[in-house]
Amino acid sequence: MKILRTASEGLESLAANKLRTCFMMAGTVVGIAALTVIMAIGKGTEAQVMRRVENFGPRAMMLVAGGGRTIGPPDASVATLTLADARAVRDEVPGLEIVTPQAWQMGAGLRFGGNQSKATMWGIEPEWHDAWNWYTVEGDGITDEDVATMARVCVIGSSVKRDLFGDVDPIGESLYINKVAVEVKGVLERRGVAGASGGDFDNRILLPITTAMRRVMNVDHIGGVRIITSDANRMADQAEQITRLMRVRHRITPPAEDDFRINSPLAIAEVVRGTSGTLTMLLTGLAGLSLLVGGVVLMNILLISVAERTAEIGLRRAVGATRRDIFHQFLTESLSVTFLGMILGSALGWGVSLAIQRWTTMPVVVSWEPLAVAIGFALLIGTFFGVQPARRAARLNPVEALR
Amino acid sequence: MIELEGIEKTYTRGDVVTRVLKDISFEIHPGQYVAIMGASGTGKSTLMNILGCLDKPTDGHYRLDGTDMVELDDEDLSHLRNHKIGFVFQQFHLLQRTTALKNTLLPLIYADRYPEEAEELAEEALAMVGLSDRIDYRPSQLSGGQQQRVAIARALINNPAILLADEPTGNLDSRSGAEVMSIFQRLHRQGRTIVIVTHDRELAEHAQRVIVLEDGQIAEDHRISQPRDAEAELAALAPAEENVG
Repeated sequence: MKILRTASEGLESLAANKLRTCFMMAGTVVGIAALTVIMAIGKGTEAQVMRRVENFGPRAMMLVAGGGRTIGPPDASVATLTLADARAVRDEVPGLEIVTPQAWQMGAGLRFGGNQSKATMWGIEPEWHDAWNWYTVEGDGITDEDVATMARVCVIGSSVKRDLFGDVDPIGESLYINKVAVEVKGVLERRGVAGASGGDFDNRILLPITTAMRRVMNVDHIGGVRIITSDANRMADQAEQITRLMRVRHRITPPAEDDFRINSPLAIAEVVRGTSGTLTMLLTGLAGLSLLVGGVVLMNILLISVAERTAEIGLRRAVGATRRDIFHQFLTESLSVTFLGMILGSALGWGVSLAIQRWTTMPVVVSWEPLAVAIGFALLIGTFFGVQPARRAARLNPVEALR
Repeated sequence: MIELEGIEKTYTRGDVVTRVLKDISFEIHPGQYVAIMGASGTGKSTLMNILGCLDKPTDGHYRLDGTDMVELDDEDLSHLRNHKIGFVFQQFHLLQRTTALKNTLLPLIYADRYPEEAEELAEEALAMVGLSDRIDYRPSQLSGGQQQRVAIARALINNPAILLADEPTGNLDSRSGAEVMSIFQRLHRQGRTIVIVTHDRELAEHAQRVIVLEDGQIAEDHRISQPRDAEAELAALAPAEENVG
């Protein structure tokens, strides 16, 4: 086909001017590489959001004492949230499946025989197991009776079992938590995932909430309330109701800020996305700028090349090239440059993504999708910035070109 | 068969109208070897561009093998050049980074049908101009005379109706020039139609017929009874080695 022959004329010109070709390609390479990394980070972030939300519970909310921060370990020093607040939420906000208060203390000291360790202590009610969908694999969970009687019992996470008991069967053994002796009645199933704060989820010890508040921590307030809604679509509305209720109960009026916060999958997704947002924005800027500047450079080099090769174009016209043939030749040069740049840029972006995955905690998912986007961009830029020079070449008057 | 009838070419710049060609009419029959001669500014380049279908006359008709090029659009003119015309330029106009073979087959790239045996055709054309041993050389590795011979091979590859040469020896030393002229005479003996455009009367006298342009008009049109013999002139020159190899 004639179009292939004229295209191959364009390719030969690129091959014959390698340095020029490199300059023409540079912007596309950088731009496409940045684009590839952006997409890898975007995909990684979304995967992490999904994981976190799945982990948190898609229908779950947390009413947490203390305002301000949206994520991270609760602030134990805020003493405003009480069991009565939890009851009020349960009684007054409709459409909630589970409302269960929890008290907690980070880094509670544990001892069994000669072994010591630290773990997060949770004071819970039995519904906690349902609210977190997290049950015991050995022994039993916390019961209503345990709560009512302020029983000196506990359920331990698999990390606590490993650290304190080793090969010893912990069920029925007593351990000390902040110098209070409690009997181990169950071991939690291993979750094996990091929490939102990056800690070991399995390094925990559960006590009846009454035992935790009275006997261990000696406090009247709780850390938070775990809430499961029966309808995820009503979550935003319910969060609004809870906020109003809590502000009334805590006598907060504007302009005072909430002394609590409500975490939801939406809030978590926002936080996770926020961490990679800055880098993504920077890379987007870099990609946009590179592609634009690269395109302009490409166009200018092509325009210079058209001027330099006036005689060549004149000769080709004299031996029978039509305007369209010349147009095709120069458009082929432009498209080939961006296409080659796209391949190199994708490879570079792929490498950088793998490096980020390997050496940073940034969530990155390397996939083939960015290649499709890159091909689209390469064609777009090659055409957009190639048409003008190609048209100029095609319009040259052969008589003047040959002079 | 070339027929020019009342060819006019005028250029208008602002209010100034310049008549470059005035009522040019002549015919060139197949197999003729014609020189168009004139000093610079007499319109011979313009005439050559029209003969080569690179430019259209302002008025008049130019029929090439029966096709009136005046009625054709740019694309059809490109096809016409591709099929019917072989150009040889003073500056050779070879693609610098390309081999003699590839330069020679360039017109085939723009043909409607690319012959499978394109490379063999190019090799044959190069053999005709005595460059069989240079097919893989680039222009920079060839002497001026050799470069012009590649250009002649390129002009021949499409088996054109006319070979149109514009000052073909203008950039060559006398020996290379004589070589080129002897190739033209040989091609003429093989039946080619050749038109050379030159300001040089001696060169023009290698042809059978000389058309002299003066001030855009035909001043003379006569046959040369005894054309100069390029072979003999070449033999008379002191033998020289090919300077570039």
